[in-house]
Amino acid sequence: MEKPPSNSVLMLEGITKVYPGTIALEDVHFEALPGEVHGLIGKNGAGKSTLVGILSGLVEPTSGSIVLNGRPFSSLSRSRAKREGVAIVPQEPEIVLDLSVAENLFLGELENRAGFVSWRKLRTDARRVLDRFGLALDVDLQARDLSLSERQLLLILKACVVEDAKIVVLDEASASLSRNDGSILERIVGDLKALGKAILYISHHIDELLEICDRLTVLRDGRVVETRTKDLLDHRSLAELVVGESFAAAPSAGMRRNQFGEEILRIVGLTRWGAFRNIDCTLRRGEILGIAGLRGSGRTELLKAISGIEPADAGRMSLKGKAVAFSRPSEALREGVAYLPEDRESEGIIRTFSIGDNLLLNSIAKFSRNGFVAWGEARRRAAEIFSDVQIHAFSMEQNAEELSGGNKQKVVIGRIMSNEPEIYLLDEPTRGVDIGAKRSILSLVNGPLRENAGVILTSPGLDDLLDVCDRILVLYRGNPVREYGREDFDEKSLFMDMQGYGFQEQRGGEECRAV
Amino acid sequence: MSGGLKIKLALLDNIIWLMLFLFFSACALGIPAFASWNNIVNILYHTTIMSMLVLAQGFVLVSGNLDLSIDAVLAFAPGVVVLASTKWFPETLSSPYLAILLTLSLGGVIGYFNGFCVAKLGMNAFMQTLSLSIILRGMVLFLIPLSIFPLDPVYSFIGKARFPALGNLPAAIPVTFCIYLLFHILLKHTVFGRNYLATGGNARASFVAGIDTGKMVIVGFVIAGLLSAVAGMLTAGRQDSVSNTMGTGMTLLAFAGALLGGTSMSGGKGSAFGMLGGAILLGMFSNALNLLGVKVTLIHAAQGTLIFLAILMDRFRVSLRGRLLREEQLRKLNQA
Repeated sequence: MEKPPSNSVLMLEGITKVYPGTIALEDVHFEALPGEVHGLIGKNGAGKSTLVGILSGLVEPTSGSIVLNGRPFSSLSRSRAKREGVAIVPQEPEIVLDLSVAENLFLGELENRAGFVSWRKLRTDARRVLDRFGLALDVDLQARDLSLSERQLLLILKACVVEDAKIVVLDEASASLSRNDGSILERIVGDLKALGKAILYISHHIDELLEICDRLTVLRDGRVVETRTKDLLDHRSLAELVVGESFAAAPSAGMRRNQFGEEILRIVGLTRWGAFRNIDCTLRRGEILGIAGLRGSGRTELLKAISGIEPADAGRMSLKGKAVAFSRPSEALREGVAYLPEDRESEGIIRTFSIGDNLLLNSIAKFSRNGFVAWGEARRRAAEIFSDVQIHAFSMEQNAEELSGGNKQKVVIGRIMSNEPEIYLLDEPTRGVDIGAKRSILSLVNGPLRENAGVILTSPGLDDLLDVCDRILVLYRGNPVREYGREDFDEKSLFMDMQGYGFQEQRGGEECRAV
Repeated sequence: MSGGLKIKLALLDNIIWLMLFLFFSACALGIPAFASWNNIVNILYHTTIMSMLVLAQGFVLVSGNLDLSIDAVLAFAPGVVVLASTKWFPETLSSPYLAILLTLSLGGVIGYFNGFCVAKLGMNAFMQTLSLSIILRGMVLFLIPLSIFPLDPVYSFIGKARFPALGNLPAAIPVTFCIYLLFHILLKHTVFGRNYLATGGNARASFVAGIDTGKMVIVGFVIAGLLSAVAGMLTAGRQDSVSNTMGTGMTLLAFAGALLGGTSMSGGKGSAFGMLGGAILLGMFSNALNLLGVKVTLIHAAQGTLIFLAILMDRFRVSLRGRLLREEQLRKLNQA
């Protein structure tokens, strides 16, 4: 790697971050120059979010130093980062829904005259900012009435223009942008560049990175693999750098099977407007089907539609040959279809309940004797599951809220297991858990869960899917791209399909979106 | 879990009964005639009405909602029924048993209306029950300018009757205890009760787990309506009349009783056993102040202070519970 020029506004020197049981970042060197758009790409778990956390002052690095405008820091605080001119636009738009566009834009920077807001100035300033980037929004509109895409743009404008930062970090900012708003983003980025600001552009989309960025840094397993200027890269070489050593479809020992049971689920042309369309797939007993796709590919929505939480608008679904259409989760559960929520805090556990009570949530009706709970029997069953899923807690009576993320996830998995469903819909079961918990969750999926049932699994990264799935269906912006059998698993090709290449090839380069 | 920790946690979870015991002991030592049979019966008798409202409010709180209309239902349900059976349709509705049935049904229907508005129409429980409370109280003032008396002895039985064979025990006391026992079993030992608690703890997760959360919320309000109607009959029976001021201002005290009994304002936590403790403590407190000769006008402020102390203690209880569990975890880790 070349020696960093001295005019860099941001420089990371040997940044390492160690979490208990895992190394998130190892000896990372990185620099951003004024007037440069610097892309950052890497698979899930490569360390991008830790890096963003360190820059925004939310995560303290274990060692190494951060040099901002020539001054070294061993760690940043939120306010220090802001004072030094670092602005972060997070993945999820965080906006005050009840305030107007103008107020949101200048929130925290409201100019006042003796404590009073000057509405006229606020509105003129806001209109000037919006006009400059061709954003046709009424400044008096309530943020509540904006689309997700417009909210995201507003936040980008706030961070880039209003707060006048020197370094802007866009963390997957384009993921929730519509196509038209995407071009506005390009304009904003171009404008910032001309003003001599440093932009850190994080994205999963190779296309976009190659179009917008001047230089690209690839992270893999917490390390910087390469930093190259754009003209030295193309789609394929970048994909190879991101994926690394190609995964060989190893028929890993013991658990792998070739013989599956009968077909238990068939989906034909399932569509939910704005989320996914024309999905076909089948699932046999004992089989694990993976759904791969980037954010916004419709993978979560597909599982939610199958389980009746957000029903599909069109298409057919049959369970063991019987046509079904679930309009609420209780109906799906009765037929043996159990959904593991992606967001375990808000849709998974009941915080006021003990671990045991959480485990029994789905199946308590099974222990009903004329409406009364047969507690002896129920507790025995709960204890069984408690040891099956290996929750690390000293007692089943402990409150569920006191558990770590991984153990909470195991509680929710145990909960849906207690009902002995025939189809498991697992929505990102390994999200945000440590490596040990991840392994034991995956071995649960590959062991007891598939024993007598079919499993559909989603994951933000490919590793988990390649590890346990028998087949993988790739979605791109709500459209099915390709289905892979285990013998065809190829990480690079899957990765390209997730980027939409396979899809574009199939449709002659025309890109469409299921909206 | 070690035995010592278990006992400590059990004590913390039932801290209301510990407080009740301490308060009772202190009063028994300091106030003559406080611990007499007659005074204890008197306290319990005076607590029965509030007990019903505490249970009504506590039950709705468990599902994650609240009901501001309970004291208005207390007046409205028996008021309208007594009016109907004495003034409007004296011939057809003369049966007191029918009147009791109608009172309960009216309470249940009002509760259903609240529940429907909250669960199905997505109205805010605070606003909905506040508006209904004002409507019902206004209707009571309009319909019953003065009080209506006397009542049929069958109708006033649960509020007024006493059993001379049992040391003049009022019927209201065993009735209250039976209802509490029923709700204790309902919440702790039935499938419905567990699903109801789960709904209050996390409605979204419960929905995903297949629980009909809308139904749970509606049932909660229906039960609150029913219990308020029972409280109304207890009140009417005790004063042998219905009047338009019955129950005024009791809703907020019912919150206090439920909170004292360990019910969580954010739902998912609460037991009938605890709520009973909360209700009795409220009653015992005002009785003690009475016996001490504290001015009636000051009792309100004193009750407010009690509520404040209860909330303060609840925070203390929660943090102490967390610390005990953490220490246990550390101890386990050190052993391993």
